[in-house]
Amino acid sequence: MENFKKNIKDNFEDFYSQNTSSDVLNNFRKNSFASLNSLGLPSLKDEDWRFTDLNDFYKSTFKHRIQDNKKFDSALIPESLNFSDVTFVYLYNGKLSHFDSTENVKIEDLESYVSSLDSNEFEEIINGHSEKNKDFTFEMNSSFLKDGVYIEVEKNIKLKKPIVIINYYDSEASFVCHRNVINFQDLSKGQIVEYTFSIDDISFLSNKATCFLLGNSTNVEHLSVDESNKSSYILSNLKISQKKDSNFTTDTILTGGKLYRNNVHPVLNGEGSNSNILGLYLSKDNQHMDNYMFVEHIKPNCDSRQLYKGILKDTSKGVFHGRILVHNEAQKTDAKQTNRNLLLSEKAQVDTKPQLEIYADDVKCTHGATTGQIDNEALYYLRARGINLEDAKLIMIRSFTEELLEFISSNFILDLHKSFVEKWFLNSQLAKSE
Amino acid sequence: MLEIIDLHANIEDKEILKGLTLKINKGEVHSIMGPNGSGKSTLASILAGKEDYEITKGDILFNGESIMEMAPEERAQEGIFLAFQYPIEIPGVTNSYFLREALNSIRKSKGDKPLKPVEFVKIAKEKIKDLKMDESLLNRSLNEGFSGGEKKRNEILQMSILNPCMSILDETDSGLDIDALQIVANGVNANRGDDKSFLVITHYQRLLNYIVPDFVHVLIEGRIVKSGDKSLALELESKGYSWLEN
Ligand SMILES: Nc1ncnc2c1ncn2[C@@H]1O[C@H](COP(=O)(O)OP(=O)(O)OP(=O)(O)O)[C@@H](O)[C@H]1O
Ligand SMILES: [Mg+2]
Repeated sequence: MENFKKNIKDNFEDFYSQNTSSDVLNNFRKNSFASLNSLGLPSLKDEDWRFTDLNDFYKSTFKHRIQDNKKFDSALIPESLNFSDVTFVYLYNGKLSHFDSTENVKIEDLESYVSSLDSNEFEEIINGHSEKNKDFTFEMNSSFLKDGVYIEVEKNIKLKKPIVIINYYDSEASFVCHRNVINFQDLSKGQIVEYTFSIDDISFLSNKATCFLLGNSTNVEHLSVDESNKSSYILSNLKISQKKDSNFTTDTILTGGKLYRNNVHPVLNGEGSNSNILGLYLSKDNQHMDNYMFVEHIKPNCDSRQLYKGILKDTSKGVFHGRILVHNEAQKTDAKQTNRNLLLSEKAQVDTKPQLEIYADDVKCTHGATTGQIDNEALYYLRARGINLEDAKLIMIRSFTEELLEFISSNFILDLHKSFVEKWFLNSQLAKSE
Repeated sequence: MLEIIDLHANIEDKEILKGLTLKINKGEVHSIMGPNGSGKSTLASILAGKEDYEITKGDILFNGESIMEMAPEERAQEGIFLAFQYPIEIPGVTNSYFLREALNSIRKSKGDKPLKPVEFVKIAKEKIKDLKMDESLLNRSLNEGFSGGEKKRNEILQMSILNPCMSILDETDSGLDIDALQIVANGVNANRGDDKSFLVITHYQRLLNYIVPDFVHVLIEGRIVKSGDKSLALELESKGYSWLEN
C-alpha cells in the first residue's frame, strides 16, 4: 500500500511538471491530488469497499502513460459496431484520436476545451458534481485530468445519429486516465454509446470517468459496454448531473477487467427529472466486479429506477452496493432499487448491500435484492417440451436479462445491448457450466 | 405403446408408487382416478422423465424400448407429452418463442427443417383460434400471470402444436369453467387418432363425458386397485373411494 501511494505520487509529480496547462486546470489537478491524499487509500475496513480486496491491486506498479499521437485504426472495432449512420469518436488509450464531425455538436479534446474555460465555467462543467461521497478513484481521475473528449450538444437539437465513443487500450503496464464530459444543453436529445475494449494479454490500469451534464428537459439514452481484457484493473466513474425535467437512461454492460470498480452517481438536482440506471455485470473465471451505486435526490418530484443484474460464473465475484440519498428538500421522491443475481456455479459469489439515507418525509423508496440459480422446475418444464438441456439453460439465462430491455426505448441501443450480451453468452460456454 | 411394469418409486425415502402396472395400446384412452396424494402426478412426472425420483424396481417401455435412462427432452422428442397439473411460469420467455423452440427441437430430432418464425406463427394462430384463446397470450411471458384456466388451455395448445403420440393430461380439467372444459375436450378429441394414446388423470367424471375413455383405473396408495370401463367412473362418482380401500 505504501509502495502504491509512492508510485501514484511519483506518477503525479511527473505528470504535473510535464503538463502545464491553464492556471485553473493546474490548480484543479493539485487540489484534487491533495484531496486524494487526505482521503487515503481504501481497505476492507472502509464501508464503501467492504467487499473488494485491493491488496493485490496495491502491489501493482503501473506507470502513467504520457500520450503520443498515434491514430486509432478503426478496423479494430467489432462487427457489431460497424455502422455507417453514427457519429464515431475514437479514443486511443484514453486520448482523443479522431472523430466524425456532425452538425450542432462540439467535439473537442478535453484538455484543450477545458484550458479555455474561466474559473466559473470550469466549476460548472468539470466540478459541478456533488461534493458528497468523495471517492479515491474519482479524485485520482481529477488529479490526472487531461485526456478524453468533451462533447456538447446544442440547445434544442435532437441528434439524428447516435454518437459512438470507441475507447481502445493497448499499452502494457500503463496507467491510463481519461474523462469524457458530455454536455446536453436545454431541450436537446440523443443517444450516446461508449464501447471500451483492449488487446488481450496486457495488464494495465484504467481510471476512466464519464460525466454527463443534462440541461433542462433533455432526453438522453446511454449505453456503456466494457470488454477490456481480464488482466486489467478498471476504476470507472459515471456521474450524471440532471436539471429540471430531464430524462436519462443509462445501461451498462460489464464483461471485462480482472478487478472492476463501477461507480455510478446520478444526481437529480432539477425538479421533475427522471433517471433509469440499468446494468448487467457478466463475470467468469476469477473476475471481480464491484458496482457502487450512489443515487442522489436533491430536488423534489424526481424518479429513479435502478435495475442491476449479475450473471456470475466459475469463481467470479460480484458486489452490488446500492446507496440512495434523499436530501431534505427532495419531497415526492420516488426511488426504486432492484438487484438480481444469477449464479451459474457453486463457487461464484455475490454481496449485496442496500444503503438508504432519507432526509425528506414524503418519499417512496424501495429496494430489493435476490440471488439464485437457474430454476430446476423451469428447466424441467422446458425439457419436457423437447428442448435440450443446454438450450433450456440458455433460454433461462437469457430470460434473466430480459427485464432490463423494458427500460430501453431506443432500438439502436436495444439491438446493441442484445448483441453484446449474446456475444458474452456465446464466448462463455454457459450451457456447459454447472 | 406404453407399458409400465411393476413400478416402485420413492421420493426422499418415502415410497409413493408401490408396484404399478399399466399397459396402454395405440389409439387407446385410459383414465386414472384416485384420491389426493395417491401418486397420480408422481406417475405422470416419472413418465415425463423428472429426475427427482428414485425408481427402486420396475420398468417403463415405450414402443417396446425401456425409457428409464432417457432425459425428459428425449422422451418429448419420442412423442411423450405431459400436460402439467401446475404449469410453470417463466418470466422473460415469450409463449410463442418457447413454443417455437420446443417444436423446432422436436423437428430437429426427427431430421426435419426448423420452422421460420412466420411459418410458426401461422400454425400457432390457427391452433390458438381452435382453443378460443386470446392471441395476445402468444406474446406474453410463458404462463406468467395467466389465469388458472388460461394455463390449462395453454398446455393443450402446446399439445396440439407439438402433436405427440402419447399424451398424459394431469388434471387438465381442474379449474376450467364449463365452456372451457368443452373447448379443451374438443382440443383433445381433435388430436385423437389410431396412432395416438392418452392417459387422462382426473377427479371428475364430467370430463370423461367429453373425452370418452376405453379404460378407467383407480389408483390408491401407489397401486392400481381396480380397472374397468367408463362406467367405473360413474360408480366412483356416486360411491367415492372408501369401498376400494382395504
Ligand atoms: N418432493 C416431495 N417430497 C416429499 N413428498 C412428496 C414430494 N412430492 C410428492 N410427495 C408426496 O407424494 C405423494 C403423492 O403425490 P402426488 O402429487 O403424486 O399425488 P396426486 O395423486 O397427484 O394428488 P392430487 O390429486 O392432490 O394431485 C403425496 O403424499 C405427496 O405429499
Ligand atoms: Mg396430482
